[in-house]
Amino acid sequence: MVKLLIILGVIGFIGKAGADVYPSTYKAPSAPDILIVNASLYIGDGNEIENGYLHLRQGKILDVGTGSPVDVEDMSVIDAKGKWVTPGIIDVHSHLGNYPSPGYQGSSDGNEATSPVTPEVWAEHSVWPQDPQFPLALAGGVTTLQILPGSANLFGGRSVTVKNVWSRTVQGMKFPGAPYGLKMACGENPKRVYGRKGSAPSTRMGNFAGYRKAWIDALEYQESWAVYQRELNQFDSEQSQSDEPGSDKKDRKEPSEPKRNLKMETLVGVLDGDILVHNHCYRADEMAQIIDLSKEFGYQVTAFHHAVEAYKITDLLAENNICSAMWADWWQFKLESFDGIQENIPLVHSAGACAIVHSDSALGIQRLNQEAAKALAAGRRLGLTISQAEAMTWITGNAAKALGIDHKTGTLELGKMADVVIWSHNPFSVYARAEIVFIDGVVRLDLEQGLRPVSDFELGLRTEDAKS
Amino acid sequence: MKRILILICLVINTAQAAPVLIKNAKLAQAGLDSNVLVDILVQDGRFQSVETNLRLADTVSNTLEIIDAQGQWVTPGLIDSGTTIGLVDVPGLGISSDNRVEDFPLSAGLSVALALNPESSLIRMAPTDGITRGVIIPVPGNSNYAGQSSVVEFSGKTDFVVYADNAVHLYLRERDRRFAGGSRAAVLYSAVLGLQESQRYRNNRRAFKTNKLRPFSLKEADLKALDKVVSGELVLAIHVDRAADIRSALAALVEFKSIRPVLMGATEAWKVADDLAAGNIPVVINVLDNTPSNFDKLGARLDNAALLTEAGVRVAFMSSEPFSEFRSLTQAAGVAVANGLSFKHALQAITSNPAEIWGLESLGMIEPGAIADLVIWDGDPLELMSAPVKTMINGNWVEFSTRQSLLARRYLSISKGGAVDSSSTALRKK
Repeated sequence: MVKLLIILGVIGFIGKAGADVYPSTYKAPSAPDILIVNASLYIGDGNEIENGYLHLRQGKILDVGTGSPVDVEDMSVIDAKGKWVTPGIIDVHSHLGNYPSPGYQGSSDGNEATSPVTPEVWAEHSVWPQDPQFPLALAGGVTTLQILPGSANLFGGRSVTVKNVWSRTVQGMKFPGAPYGLKMACGENPKRVYGRKGSAPSTRMGNFAGYRKAWIDALEYQESWAVYQRELNQFDSEQSQSDEPGSDKKDRKEPSEPKRNLKMETLVGVLDGDILVHNHCYRADEMAQIIDLSKEFGYQVTAFHHAVEAYKITDLLAENNICSAMWADWWQFKLESFDGIQENIPLVHSAGACAIVHSDSALGIQRLNQEAAKALAAGRRLGLTISQAEAMTWITGNAAKALGIDHKTGTLELGKMADVVIWSHNPFSVYARAEIVFIDGVVRLDLEQGLRPVSDFELGLRTEDAKS
Repeated sequence: MKRILILICLVINTAQAAPVLIKNAKLAQAGLDSNVLVDILVQDGRFQSVETNLRLADTVSNTLEIIDAQGQWVTPGLIDSGTTIGLVDVPGLGISSDNRVEDFPLSAGLSVALALNPESSLIRMAPTDGITRGVIIPVPGNSNYAGQSSVVEFSGKTDFVVYADNAVHLYLRERDRRFAGGSRAAVLYSAVLGLQESQRYRNNRRAFKTNKLRPFSLKEADLKALDKVVSGELVLAIHVDRAADIRSALAALVEFKSIRPVLMGATEAWKVADDLAAGNIPVVINVLDNTPSNFDKLGARLDNAALLTEAGVRVAFMSSEPFSEFRSLTQAAGVAVANGLSFKHALQAITSNPAEIWGLESLGMIEPGAIADLVIWDGDPLELMSAPVKTMINGNWVEFSTRQSLLARRYLSISKGGAVDSSSTALRKK
């Protein structure tokens, strides 16, 4: 009985702070058996198969191998001779749905720029599932994406990871079981947004004071729940003992729960290791400071986003097991991106750190494979030895790892979700197009058949060009 | 047109490079079979000969530099038809940007040439991506007429302006309505009024000088610039997205017989492709910009270039206005090919077509007598993994050392388990 109460207590706590509210309702439709043969495959874990096959069954990867499968039963076979097969592309940094097209004030829902500390806002409450940019991203082979709040705030709020499927609701897109992320931001944006208003932060040191204050509050909140839990446990055990005759503990008052605090629930989720930190940070010196911040308060930074200067501290990033999500060649558009170089991604990779290509753009998300190609080429020109199969991890396996979903998708390994792209050419070629895109084994885009999802917004406005 | 030639000649005269022979070039250029390798002789800043198995005349200097391209791709220097390099260093940093005039009583008469900086760090980047020339465009800050663009060469030389004022830029996009009271009706009305005023000014200069004319809405510098637009001396570059606006603008310009419009951006130009072809109106597009990001761009699509070309419209590509993304010019051309444009037409859209559209005589082609801008590539020039091996502007090879390459070299050893290259962190006088 005691044990049960403790368990219930724990569940009760999770129910408030981290439980599955606004749960995913995404369920993959039943998928036929599909066998893709004669394909060149990039597995997404750094390996490749020159001439092989991929067998999808009931939305999962059943088999992958070299040559031809032994027995081909009664199933639909796709001859991918001359074509390439990869895992579905994953973008770890997107604002589709919260900065949709068309982009007007009425649809701009990415930054809750009214306070620098807003871990209580959740990106999923901003995402418009009918954003016509989702189908465009699908045409670029993107099957999974993380949608983040913007970077106006030190703590921007929770991210949401979604499958790139047509749905009436965000819940219908939510990636089942994906952990939440917390968006944090370094540098120019928070200090600009709030400095302009004459409030903190207006400097980088102000940024750090803001982070530290919030984490101190989070530790206090975490402790208040721990105290409550201890008291509750004690109370419960006393209550069970009090059944014994002569006990004087019968009249003890049951401890009351601390008041829920949405801001703190997200931060404590990070401290407990349930929520992953995605930290917008350009400059190397600031990333090094953030690493120390994470050590001061005992949490792990999962990924630095943008990380334009990651190449200056690749050793630190590898040592601290932090991924860097980067652009291939965006640079110099703001002061803190002045030192961007095309070799950034391959340099991070070569140091043994986790490198990711991200977009942060409704245009870039349509061609993450091309961005990976540009970065790879720049690295090779610098003398780095990186294979295309390795570079493919930057937009598949490594991206899945940073989102905490690498056990479910991101590579063409047995048992994983059948999120798969068949490309017309090698995806490192500018001429390559995603010809068929599967999500959980279901064909969501087929170039030849003219099949693609159409958002509500596009109906009657853009459907005449559905053939493209 | 005379003015272009004079200015170009000035630039050529300053080039005193040794002659160069590039052998075995796989020339990617319209009208040529790229399977036949050619030899290219460059002398005095111009292409002298372009032929297979070229036999050199005795007159060629013995200082001749010979480069064997070994069958690698060679293209004319690429031309970006719309960029802000040299005008904007850090787009997010207003103080480094000179492409927008917000609080000043001139419009069409403004000239970006006065603000150009040949020593911008961005200029050194362009040739490393094969881009040798660019049209440097203003964006509107106080009027739908944003001013005049310049054509520059990305040589890093201080006299890098090829043509100071080559076009007046008129902005008719959704967000540009604010400059004329908030409605397209007023935008087009005021734009045409400016052109009409320039003619009243032209025909009554003496009366204007003696203040005997009823007042104009524009300043004299604006009237002079618009007069050159009406006479066809300057191109009228119209930045417009919506098909309806393209039709309205072209209809409004019918009364000006000599005007030379070029559409910029032109997201929905494919819808009016036949009209544009019939009117011989070229279109400059940003290939990658395919989202319906506002109600003017509902028809945005990646095959705009293919559809326009198919209809017979001359198409050129620009990188994009606000960001330092000129690195994506060849990528854009490649994406256009993936979406139905032929390789030949894609290449033309970044070489000979912009030369034609912007009146850059002797540029955009590798042929005898043309200005020697060329790029030797290590692969298909439109491919993402290809890059220029060498870039020549006006017969001179361009130095590829950039701030970015120095940064990469300084930190390279960190990723190999070493330390920062200390020879680069402390400067010693040589």
